[in-house]
Amino acid sequence: MSTEDKTPLVSVKDVHKVFDLGGHFLQKETPKVKAINDVSLNIAVGESFCLVGESGCGKSTLARTVMGLLKPSAGEIGYNGTRIDDLAHNERLPFHRNMQMIFQNPYASLNPRRSVQKTLEEPLRFHCPEMSNSAIKEKVEEVMVSVGNDPSWGARYPHEFSGGQRQRISIARALMVDPEFVVADEPISALDVSIQAQVLNVMMDAQEKRNLTYLFITHDLSVVEHFGSRVGVMYLGTLCELATTKTLFAKPRHPYTQVLLAAIPTLSCEEMTSTKSVGEVPSAMNLPTGCVFHNRCPFANERCKREVPRLRTLDDGAAVACHAVEEGRIES
Amino acid sequence: MALIEVKNLCVEFPTRHATLKALRGVNFSIEKGERLGIVGESGAGKSLSAFAMLNLLSKPGRIAEGEILFEGQDLSKLNDDEMRSIRGNRISMIFQDPMMTLNPVLTIGTQMVETLQAHRKISKAAARLIAIDRLNEVRIPSAEERLESYPHELSGGMRQRVVIAIALLTEPVLIIADEPTTALDVTIQAEIMSLMLDLCKTHNVGLILITHDLAVVSQVTQKVIVMYAGRVVEQGATRAVIENPRHPYTRGLMAALPQQNTPGKRLFQIPGSMPTLDAMPDGCAFNPRCEHVGDDCRNKMPKLDSFEGHLVRCHKAEELQIKGEKS
Amino acid sequence: MKRLKKFLASDFFYQFKSDKMAIVSFTIIFTFVTLAVLAPLISPYNPHDPSQIDLMDSEIPPVWDHNADEEPDARFWLGTDQQGRDMFSAILYGLRISLIIGIFAVAVQMVIGIAIGLISGYVGGRVDAFFMRLADIQLSLSTMMIAIIGLAIFQATFGAELYEEMAVFMLVLVIGIAEWPQYARTVRASVLAERNKEYVDAARVIGLSSPIIMVRHILPNTLSPLLVISTVQVANAIISEAALSFLGLGMPVTMPSLGSLISSGFEYIFSGSWWITTIPAFVLILLILMINLLGDWLRDVLNPKLYKG
Repeated sequence: MSTEDKTPLVSVKDVHKVFDLGGHFLQKETPKVKAINDVSLNIAVGESFCLVGESGCGKSTLARTVMGLLKPSAGEIGYNGTRIDDLAHNERLPFHRNMQMIFQNPYASLNPRRSVQKTLEEPLRFHCPEMSNSAIKEKVEEVMVSVGNDPSWGARYPHEFSGGQRQRISIARALMVDPEFVVADEPISALDVSIQAQVLNVMMDAQEKRNLTYLFITHDLSVVEHFGSRVGVMYLGTLCELATTKTLFAKPRHPYTQVLLAAIPTLSCEEMTSTKSVGEVPSAMNLPTGCVFHNRCPFANERCKREVPRLRTLDDGAAVACHAVEEGRIES
Repeated sequence: MALIEVKNLCVEFPTRHATLKALRGVNFSIEKGERLGIVGESGAGKSLSAFAMLNLLSKPGRIAEGEILFEGQDLSKLNDDEMRSIRGNRISMIFQDPMMTLNPVLTIGTQMVETLQAHRKISKAAARLIAIDRLNEVRIPSAEERLESYPHELSGGMRQRVVIAIALLTEPVLIIADEPTTALDVTIQAEIMSLMLDLCKTHNVGLILITHDLAVVSQVTQKVIVMYAGRVVEQGATRAVIENPRHPYTRGLMAALPQQNTPGKRLFQIPGSMPTLDAMPDGCAFNPRCEHVGDDCRNKMPKLDSFEGHLVRCHKAEELQIKGEKS
Repeated sequence: MKRLKKFLASDFFYQFKSDKMAIVSFTIIFTFVTLAVLAPLISPYNPHDPSQIDLMDSEIPPVWDHNADEEPDARFWLGTDQQGRDMFSAILYGLRISLIIGIFAVAVQMVIGIAIGLISGYVGGRVDAFFMRLADIQLSLSTMMIAIIGLAIFQATFGAELYEEMAVFMLVLVIGIAEWPQYARTVRASVLAERNKEYVDAARVIGLSSPIIMVRHILPNTLSPLLVISTVQVANAIISEAALSFLGLGMPVTMPSLGSLISSGFEYIFSGSWWITTIPAFVLILLILMINLLGDWLRDVLNPKLYKG
């Protein structure tokens, strides 16, 4: 996990993101949503970094902030050593070639009024205006074939394709400008199980062929175990645990990680046992004081209610933000 | 006698191009208190089976053939009024998205009392008491205050609990749950599923669980039906089907799960995708994607063969079993 | 050719063929439009040319309405008005003017409304608030009021002669400007919905600038509801113009639109020459009715939730 010696490809430093819900102008304090609270992480070249968490944990918000779709309220985003979150639109253009994104909803990520060919040509025409028409057509065909698509799809429109096919078209679009870094925001969650395997394979193949680095957002831990090299677990905007995949699954330390892992249904044919309710996720508008997980945590003490735990690195390289782990109250 | 028996259910959609046969020859039965899972991917027909049972098919869909025998009546032949006395009363349904099921402009209490009063002659006060009882049963804290809440004031998990409570209000004998936890977070899914399991056992209510998640099916149901392109391809006791899947599609589904594959390596994948209703291949609907396909498979639709109660629709089922193949 | 074939085989055309009302209304509208376009060619007389008008020919009834002993005047199929103008020609030219004003006014509304709605919806914030308040203010003042004030001021300032020359242009402008909020709001609603869709994010991730995203990606996806309201807006524009002309503020007497014809013949309705008002009114009502019916049909057909089976 030594990313200290090499410049990480993507660095997230002390990032906060607050959404102002805006009220009428007579309100003194408008309601705010604290979507990301002081998150820092680094992604090295060639990694498949997975960010897991449930709805509302801020993982999608973080992905969008890294990509520049949102501006961080505080903190920095860096790419290959350069700070990118404060760049003007045209200064950021070269980074748009290197960083691309795949979205969750295959039914909304392709413009329904544009043919597949036009959608795929667009990034090329924008970033490489000197390319000739025939060169562009060739490249589109090449990338389509490399993700297992039929090049004849170009003439058709998105509504003629199934979810899985649309997602593969989206992947082709992302790969069109030969990026180095791809953010995938829950790319398979909306797909059927047998299609999920197909799309995941396409992504893995692409990574091998093109030496891609992935930031993979998901809530499905079994996919993480299969696909990821490192994992970050998020809860209510905070990074709870950060470790290599092997370490996380072998030895989950943060109480929330443990709850998450325990909740995955298994093909066991054993009847489900009554799970004790650990309560609902509180709203991000009204964050709990201290550790965000404390009112659902079986190990919470007074300190947990007051003090926000910091991410501390342990001996085996895993990083955990938990007082109980620090104090040795949980086996680590 | 079985609680509900579905015989040769066929659903079709007449359109101006052709008549699309969405469901063909679905057979199953459920005893009192039994739990059946219907598994399949989108378009396989699993939700359609449930909707057909309750006569909730949207036009132009209609039941072309078959019988749905329940408490001495054939549900497919009942008119709207007669169906209404069964729907929500003897057979309840739970849908996927609780925000769509609950009326956003009515309080929880109003909706629950309304449901009860629609099927029973009781006073509002008595209905409220029953409602509070049920809310307690689904482990909603401060049930009495909750009656005055609106759906948007509750979280996703709580809303689904309310929906389950409503489903149980009239003491039905059968609950049909269509992907009840798909829209919920992982940790809440486990809670809701185990809650449903508990309640079904306590009240001795039959359950038809429609889902795409084999793992949930394996932990909740006693029998399972695997559907593909409108037909049942495998059917039997859950343990038998999960531990020893005989149809190549079922095997493929399980093999494609990430937890069944070596981390970091390519996942097993079933090539292609399920055919749409207007482009059905000849013979077995799965043949273009099957790795064991033979000539027979391309020409003749296989029948459901029984292997000691474990039904499989595959020409090669026996052959594959003897070879001891596991994909 | 291929596209035509595709269109004829489409669900849209099938829906059209199976709905009698749609076919009837479309045919009538199409006929009217054709007549209006060809008016200079097929009209027996030119009602705008004073040399063709003979005051001696005034108030001749239509061919079917005559006393038993009189011969119907075959020159004037629908009769003449109080100035001696042939009704048939006047109606053709009037139809032409009404349609021109209706269509061009809507075109002006569309351009202004789409531009404002697009920017307002996409940019949001204060810009959105500003334009929507502007729209609110405009909507609270009725079109008629704005048109009357605008036209009256123009006529007072520049005189009736200049007004006669610019009448069509002024009417198009006034009706166009009065009703842009309709389009702006519709477009804005669509833009707000489309803005959150992931294909817009994908375009931003590619690095495209906001103006390009607005025009190339979002605008084409907002067009469907516009088609629906356009039919109604055309009908409204025609009625607005007719009303203004009826009040004397619209088309001048020498270049009558359907509204002016109705107006000028109004005094004669009880004195026996009923055709001067009634026939143009009938044509106007038929036109508006057919446009509204076609618009209704379009709305139903383009609404994906309604037209199953």
